[in-house]
Amino acid sequence: MPQRPLQNAPSSQSDESSCDLSVSLGRLKLPNPILVASGTFGYGREMAGYVAVGNLGGVVPKTITLSPRIGNHPWRTVETAAGLLNSIGLDNDGVVAFVEKQLPWLVACGAPVIVSIAGATTEEFVLLAKHLEGVPGIAALELNISCPNVSHGVDLGTDPLACRLVVEGVRAVSSLPLLAKLTPNVTSIATIARAAADGGADAVTLINTCLGLGVDWRRRKTLLGNGMGGLSGPAIKPIALRCVYQVRQAVTIPIIGAGGIMSVDDCMEFFVTGASAVQIGTANFAEPVISTRLLEALPAAVAQLGSSRLADIIGTLTLPGASATVPTIPSAQ
Amino acid sequence: MNSLSSISENVSVGCEKAPYQRVRVIEHEIFAHRTRRIRIECPEIASRALPGQFVMLRIPDRNDPLLARPLAVYDTHTHLERDRTSSFSFDCLDLVYLIHGKFTTALEQIKVGDELITWGPLGNGFSLPDVDHLLLVAGGIGQTALLAFAKECLGVKRFGNPFRPATLSRRTTLCWGARTGSFFGGIEDFTSSGVDVHLATLDGSTGIQGTVIDLLNAIPPSLLDRTHIACCGPEPMMAAVGAWATHHSLTCDVSLEAPMACGVGICFTCVAKVRDSTGSWDYRRTCVEGPVFRASSIDWD
Ligand SMILES: Cc1cc2nc3c(=O)[nH]c(=O)nc-3n(C[C@H](O)[C@H](O)[C@H](O)COP(=O)(O)OP(=O)(O)OC[C@H]3O[C@@H](n4cnc5c(N)ncnc54)[C@H](O)[C@@H]3O)c2cc1C
Ligand SMILES: Cc1cc2nc3c(=O)[nH]c(=O)nc-3n(C[C@H](O)[C@H](O)[C@H](O)COP(=O)(O)O)c2cc1C
Ligand code: FES
Repeated sequence: MPQRPLQNAPSSQSDESSCDLSVSLGRLKLPNPILVASGTFGYGREMAGYVAVGNLGGVVPKTITLSPRIGNHPWRTVETAAGLLNSIGLDNDGVVAFVEKQLPWLVACGAPVIVSIAGATTEEFVLLAKHLEGVPGIAALELNISCPNVSHGVDLGTDPLACRLVVEGVRAVSSLPLLAKLTPNVTSIATIARAAADGGADAVTLINTCLGLGVDWRRRKTLLGNGMGGLSGPAIKPIALRCVYQVRQAVTIPIIGAGGIMSVDDCMEFFVTGASAVQIGTANFAEPVISTRLLEALPAAVAQLGSSRLADIIGTLTLPGASATVPTIPSAQ
Repeated sequence: MNSLSSISENVSVGCEKAPYQRVRVIEHEIFAHRTRRIRIECPEIASRALPGQFVMLRIPDRNDPLLARPLAVYDTHTHLERDRTSSFSFDCLDLVYLIHGKFTTALEQIKVGDELITWGPLGNGFSLPDVDHLLLVAGGIGQTALLAFAKECLGVKRFGNPFRPATLSRRTTLCWGARTGSFFGGIEDFTSSGVDVHLATLDGSTGIQGTVIDLLNAIPPSLLDRTHIACCGPEPMMAAVGAWATHHSLTCDVSLEAPMACGVGICFTCVAKVRDSTGSWDYRRTCVEGPVFRASSIDWD
């Protein structure tokens, strides 16, 4: 649908109250596109006083691993210019404790629960997926093959073959929709995304944090206890948008955008570029109520494009060099 | 890390009503060298706040500084022209901060009438000891966590909604150390509440020359009967005070000033090594399980 001049948005089509925000990520249907990103929303219940958690499009709790992990030595985060460097180190109690103690609350609150898992090897991913197979209440799995804080040696998210094998391995044992969460710290994110799609991913989440370093020159030490860390927040939004832009042109599976989203304008930039949904990350720290605020403000923004369906505006960015008409983007099934 | 009990406790506090607010600055004044006191209007938060709790404070509509910073509840306050029908016991919160880095440098520029974003009150706060003598120990800007507690224990003011019952201690002492005397601000806030204040500076410009440990060592042992210590300051100083308390068989609570990104338990930034009764340690989130911990449970590294 061609973009209309803002002031002419026809009221019949752009009635905010009747805006259809529902999202299809392949088999995964979500009530709306505002999700919260793994590691930035705890296990959900911490936020019950700030956010109507059950109204969110989806909750991705903190990444879990097979065994409990103590996490990295402090300092674990440090603020940078419009950004945040973190090296939490996947501090978590392991999959068994998660299913027992954290999942029931999340499932009861009503939002789709997308469980984020991470392993050091394909085998660990497969074991995690097996453990979660059949557990009631899980809407999808997000494979965190992109955490910059845990890789020792092989980095599953930076090698296309390794990435495909992880997704394939999990695909073979899991009946759940699979999201592959990718790292921007690669030469060609399009190549990795293609590998994830080939492996059977239902969608890709773009992006995890950008590898960075903070230094205290007076003490001649790194600011983070673990040395390098992952950069997030507004500072990385252009990188995240660029990744969505490149991947949108490389694969047909849907994209979930993440990276520096702080406002409805940011969300809309991701949608128009090609993300079918977004995840709010670091912004939850700066403004715990932000996911609710963005969800409430979204229909008005969609209406500004003359649309009453979010799905109609996804990927409607005019590519440079293309004619003024909106490019045809392969539909998200 | 295993922290279910504290999560549910904390969430039940937050659940009653979203404690996230845009608030107005009522006063903003010089308090001591590089130190300011800021008074914000936030009846819901002020009425609920307990001594030792903190709020997150952020400058709105800016991405740099990006995150809020935790600041201790220094005191609560009531407007004179208050609406008599108000169900709130207090309507303002006083915060005292040292101009230090990115956030506090920006905060100093905020004018009376400007708005800030805040959420809270957060954390566990100090629990009330049943003792004769409350011994407060502050280092640097650490006194900010202690004034409200002193007032509560001396029966000068009550906190919480409803007010929590206070067991009064007969005597309250503050031992406060700083680099130099110009950093001491608000001493009269303590003395006028009945606190016996002792000062130490590294350069000897005010009080004795030395540290809070020198002040503690100068207390006659007879005055340490049925004494409980509450302490806030730089980590090495709190570790030393904790060790001093153990040596004197006194209980000691410390309020940790771990760097925080969210203040509500979702980022896992603010962890401290805390030992349980079996002696094994785990990283605990100081924002939801602290910031107040028994000093003897902390692994100071
Ligand atoms: C519970 C609690 C209560 C508090 N109460 C008060 C209070 O009442 N008054 C008050 O003034 N402060 C209080 N603080 C501290 C306060 O939250 C801020 O940390 C402080 O004000 C400095 O913020 P800033 O942005 O000005 O400095 P920043 O710019 O954040 O940093 C200041 C300095 O800290 C160091 N630093 C920052 N990040 C790192 C890192 N990752 N690794 C190593 N060093 C680092 C650097 O040397 C830097 O120059 C409290 C903290 C806590 C946790
Ligand atoms: C403190 C912190 C912890 C994170 N932990 C995880 C994690 O456990 N798993 C994961 O997949 N991503 C994790 N992330 C990455 C975010 O989910 C998100 O992809 C990234 O921060 C970019 O979005 P943002 O700029 O909106 O934060 C973490 C990010 C931060 C800031
Ligand atoms: S500051 Fe985020 S968990 Fe404590």
